[in-house]
Amino acid sequence: MKVTANQYPQEAARVLREEPHVRDSVTGATLNFDNKRRQAYAEVDAETWRHWAEGVKNHVLSNLDRYLLEAEAKLQKNGVQVHWAEDADDARRIVADIARTGQVRKVVKAKTMVSEELGINPLLEGMGVEVLETDLGEYIIQLLKQPPSHIVGPAIHLNLEQIRQLFHERFQTPLDASPDHLAAVARKLLREGFLRADMGISGGNFVVAETGTLALIENEGNIRLSTSAPRIHVALVGLEKLLPRFSDLSVFLSLTARAATGQRLGTFVSLIQGPRQPGEPDGPEEVHVVFVDNGRSSVLADPEAWETLRCLRCAACLNACPVYRQTGGHAYGYVYSGPIGAILSPGLLGLEETKPLPYASSLCGACFQACPVRIPIPKLLLTWRNRAVEEGLTPRFEAAAIKGYALAMTQPWAYRLASRAVRFLPEKALDNTVVPVLKAWTEGRAGLKPSPKSFRQMWEDGEV
Amino acid sequence: MRERILGRIHRALEHRPKTLLPEPLPAVSLPPAETLTLFTERLSGNGGEVVRLENLEAAAEWLGHFAQTFAGVAVGQTVPPVLHPKLPVLPPEEAPLGVSWALGAVAETGTVVLSSQEGRRNQLLPPAHLVFVPEARIYPTLFEALNALKPSLPSAIGLHSGPSKSADIGQIMVKGVHGPGRLVVAVISGK
Ligand code: SF4
Repeated sequence: MKVTANQYPQEAARVLREEPHVRDSVTGATLNFDNKRRQAYAEVDAETWRHWAEGVKNHVLSNLDRYLLEAEAKLQKNGVQVHWAEDADDARRIVADIARTGQVRKVVKAKTMVSEELGINPLLEGMGVEVLETDLGEYIIQLLKQPPSHIVGPAIHLNLEQIRQLFHERFQTPLDASPDHLAAVARKLLREGFLRADMGISGGNFVVAETGTLALIENEGNIRLSTSAPRIHVALVGLEKLLPRFSDLSVFLSLTARAATGQRLGTFVSLIQGPRQPGEPDGPEEVHVVFVDNGRSSVLADPEAWETLRCLRCAACLNACPVYRQTGGHAYGYVYSGPIGAILSPGLLGLEETKPLPYASSLCGACFQACPVRIPIPKLLLTWRNRAVEEGLTPRFEAAAIKGYALAMTQPWAYRLASRAVRFLPEKALDNTVVPVLKAWTEGRAGLKPSPKSFRQMWEDGEV
Repeated sequence: MRERILGRIHRALEHRPKTLLPEPLPAVSLPPAETLTLFTERLSGNGGEVVRLENLEAAAEWLGHFAQTFAGVAVGQTVPPVLHPKLPVLPPEEAPLGVSWALGAVAETGTVVLSSQEGRRNQLLPPAHLVFVPEARIYPTLFEALNALKPSLPSAIGLHSGPSKSADIGQIMVKGVHGPGRLVVAVISGK
């Protein structure tokens, strides 16, 4: 995936200026997720679960080589073919080989963030293979040729009207079609996809070393179908996704669901041990697991950032984040957005390409409170900020300005102060303001004229 | 590739202290309800339907009524013959009803445990899914269910906890997106 993280401030400002509905959609969706997460945490002894999960993940990470070997041996014994990809090129080569050998013409994909990282869709399409995203949200953004804006709800930046419009243009559905109607149209198209596909591509939430089990969590059933119907199943799995014991799944599956959507368990969980066995009526003939490094081993070697690798990709930190809520995920310029993106992208890609991201936070700490594996996100944001300044990647004033933006986005008083400050600036000053966000704001509108009163003031003065 | 990656990981961890693996965490806080009651509550809460049946005979009789509204069925390989509805057998992609025999169930989460041994398509493609489970196989917690399953794992297990759903269209919940939009679990108490 093309990385545009360095344009974060400009992109964030552009989204706020040109796509105000994004903030509404994302705010609504994330507040709802966050609320459900709180309720689901309250139902159990969440503190004990989180500490325990942190402990298990730390143990796995500090013995990762041993667990990878154990998992590999178990998977192979179960009849799974194991591959190793050092970077995106490797992974693409592996997937291309499997597709070529298996004479694959059609592929169904079950939502996988790793595949976005690796650029699997463009690769397969370049080979003349038809690729169909089957998660409803992923399917919608595939139609729009957009990347996902959220780890769990890839299309939460879109509202019902936009999706109605899209389906109207593509499938001639009425402009007031109900969500059920729209889903039924997608279901029909995707159902044909499942039945015709030669290969299904999934990610993996967990791989259990003890049993060689690949665990996948979802609500729609598209992952179960993608891993059941086609004759080949390829799972792209980050190499940090291991768990030691089969029974560890009980807490991890439930904790992930609680953190992500507030459910006790995902509606469908697949526990895959291997290809179809003699006597079984269906199932894939080949199962491949690709362990993907793509920067993860460097994160592991990092004396501070290694803790990022505990991440379950539940998106609870996105849902809790007042800065993410303003713009959604696209502005972050890479697959992973929000607080986890702000600490993982610098680790995977290097700071050079991602320098504004650690500033995309007001350090309010809500992400840490939400995180099911207690990743110290605020601390790591500071770590990356310090490194950026030390490496001379971010001039101090600019760093302060971006930080100011994050603060302004989350604190009503700071926002008021900042917007008042803009109004008091002489008009000229805005042409080359030092504040990059405000600069971006003024781009393309020669001489932004701040209104004499803020909207808030007008509201308070009874003028609107 | 493999050696290079493993070598990098090895070097990354060289000076990192190894932490201990915490003891397994059974991790539940179950309300003091009877297992079957809790299962019924939780699965209903997830949007599934639960039917309680005395024994196999009662189940067969109930099935006779239940099946009437369907035009055909796809039946899992491990479903006992007395629980095959008297309906035309159709391939899973055409059948309006799929019938399964579960390996077990979980009360805590309102979940049925389905094995690939009976076939995966009949669990996923028909719009309605009927699952039989003996009451004795309902485990209070997921932890207990997983421990019971571990010694003989089939090539794939599906944990189903309700009808297929999605809120990807404007945050509005729709059912039956890809998998069955209706899940009916029939719990059989006696023999
Ligand atoms: S950092 Fe924590 S909260 Fe954020 S996605 Fe990862 S596990 Fe979830």
